[in-house]
Amino acid sequence: MDGYAGKIVYADLSAGKVLIKPTPPELKKLYLGGRGFGIRLLTDMVDPKTDPLDAKNVLVLAAGPLTGTGTPLGSRYEVSTLSPLTGAAISANSGGVFGWKMKKAGFDAIVVSGKAKKPAWLFLDNGKAEIRDASGLWGKTTGQTTDAIQNELNDKGVRVACIGPAGEKLVRFACIINEKTRAAGRGGVGAVMGSKNLKAIAARGDQMIKPADEAKLKAVNERVKKKLEENGIEQALQKYGTAVLINIINENYVMPTRNFQSARFAAAEKVSGETMAATILKQNKGCYSCIVKCGRVCNVDGELGEGPEYEPDWAFGPDCGIDDLKAVARANNICNEYGLDAISAPTTIACLMEMAEKGYVKHAVRFGDAKGMLALVEQIAKREGIGDELAEGSFRFATKYGHPELSMSSKKQELPAYDPRGIQGYGLATATSVRGGDHVYGYMIAPEILGSPQKLDPYVTAGKPQWVKTFQDLTAGIDASGMCLFSSFALGADDYADLVAATTGMKVDAAELLKIGERIWNLQKLYNIKRGFGRKDDTLPARLLNEPLKEGAPSGQVSRIGEMLDEYYTLRGWDRDGVPSPAKLKELGL
Amino acid sequence: MTGAKDHVTVTVRAFATLREVMDRELRCEYPSGVTVGTLLRDLVQKYNGLGALLFSDPETLRDYVNILVNGRNMEFLAGLSTPLADGDTIALFPPAAGG
Repeated sequence: MDGYAGKIVYADLSAGKVLIKPTPPELKKLYLGGRGFGIRLLTDMVDPKTDPLDAKNVLVLAAGPLTGTGTPLGSRYEVSTLSPLTGAAISANSGGVFGWKMKKAGFDAIVVSGKAKKPAWLFLDNGKAEIRDASGLWGKTTGQTTDAIQNELNDKGVRVACIGPAGEKLVRFACIINEKTRAAGRGGVGAVMGSKNLKAIAARGDQMIKPADEAKLKAVNERVKKKLEENGIEQALQKYGTAVLINIINENYVMPTRNFQSARFAAAEKVSGETMAATILKQNKGCYSCIVKCGRVCNVDGELGEGPEYEPDWAFGPDCGIDDLKAVARANNICNEYGLDAISAPTTIACLMEMAEKGYVKHAVRFGDAKGMLALVEQIAKREGIGDELAEGSFRFATKYGHPELSMSSKKQELPAYDPRGIQGYGLATATSVRGGDHVYGYMIAPEILGSPQKLDPYVTAGKPQWVKTFQDLTAGIDASGMCLFSSFALGADDYADLVAATTGMKVDAAELLKIGERIWNLQKLYNIKRGFGRKDDTLPARLLNEPLKEGAPSGQVSRIGEMLDEYYTLRGWDRDGVPSPAKLKELGL
Repeated sequence: MTGAKDHVTVTVRAFATLREVMDRELRCEYPSGVTVGTLLRDLVQKYNGLGALLFSDPETLRDYVNILVNGRNMEFLAGLSTPLADGDTIALFPPAAGG
């Protein structure tokens, strides 16, 4: 055994057939799993001219070799597809238990193609797979869908990844939700699932996932566990959740506020992780095999929900000018129930708020209006009223009304919770992200704000291109392995490589893991070039490039990605247009 | 009158686990010329348990502890020797992360 389940299931919804094939050894060796499997299979199967919502697009759910093997924080699976929001080949990552269950059911990856004639769900059951009728599930929320499938099978142990009404309505930033609250959040993967009339995928099974070298893996697991337990950062994640960042980012004067009009929110304390822990937090919660348990179970006036994590906390809070933590938590719950990306939904609302205040759109909502914000979240999910226009994402919405500059997005995907004007390396990372506006394809916040693995001055550009490249490649490797990215605050490339080597039996050291990551990055880049992306897209909104910050230490600064882009391309072995050189492609075997 | 103040008053703000051992916000007055290092040593004397959260040894901050002076990490000023001016705000963060 080698940590893999050994099979990939191909579900052709147009033909109503499933095909099960062995996981190719070459795929394991070159792409490892997770995001690597997803991007390779997607780019092999789909013509670059395909519309993301066409039946010819495919949806790949893939776990990594470390998913579900008992390694601490080894819980993740990745969803890869052509994004209806950005148009790029993207992946979205989720935790919880589904990735483990997928492998227990016998599958390393699920490849969904075609479009079902009527609503369908896919059942993976101990090595077998079948397509079932989901007519009775259409219209249901993610929680209702999960309960209905578990009831139909009379098995609470079955795990369900599904879409809500937002995915059915093809909201361009609809997500896929597993275990009711864990999201493969970004890029509109839920809309692709909806376009295929696929409501849910359920998995159950009891197949053993064994590593190649049990004794070695046990020893590496012990080492990794000790590092995680002793790391102060992981301890803080457990206590305050990811929302501990609210005060940190705000005190650094890089908290995007009111659609990035400023970078400090005076009432940040009211929506902080500290306030959450002292008020609505009921308990913390972890994914499969997690010893950090950063998840938040919150009680809002008797309504239990999971989250908010830092990103939606910021986006529904400071970015919308809202300081009501209960409203933020409620909005986050609606996103989970309806299956909406809890970054793009609120940031698109923040875009509307600015456009309405400036008189570019006639609408009553204003910054700080919690009630109006909550109504808009539901309208987006149902594509009702102005929600139908907002469901296209902030870029298309703002463009429609003549003000694309007010969409705070890169490659049409809304930016996350950090102002690049005061964090130069992060600005380069998000501008060059192959999936669009993003923070988890290379988390430069770690060195530039948090001081991990070492403190880098966030205001300087020198040296940042190399850091960004290394972080992007390592993250792609971690995403392929099945480990949670949060482990990287405590672990280094050597640790991941040792885990992969012991689990798979393959010769993998830190350099090889980085090489696998670089291969994935370049494959994604190469394919997206075929879809029309180029240097012009590796950029940020004009506001962040031209309008200096006005408060605190980073006053006067703008994002200076122009100082770094050429060097970044050169380090990557790309030409001035960002096209990988033949030598680089040969080196990576592409 | 020299025109220079003899004392400076600074505001200290504490976050996350630090709030379990110290006030979340306080104002402190010091003679002119005070540094971040002096301030921290003073706070460690004042609050039981704070030293272990901030320092790995008397002169070295723990990994990932971040001290901001008016929003700027002191690491990129003059470290523990960073001088404090009247009206400065110092934010203290224990190791923490999110994403």
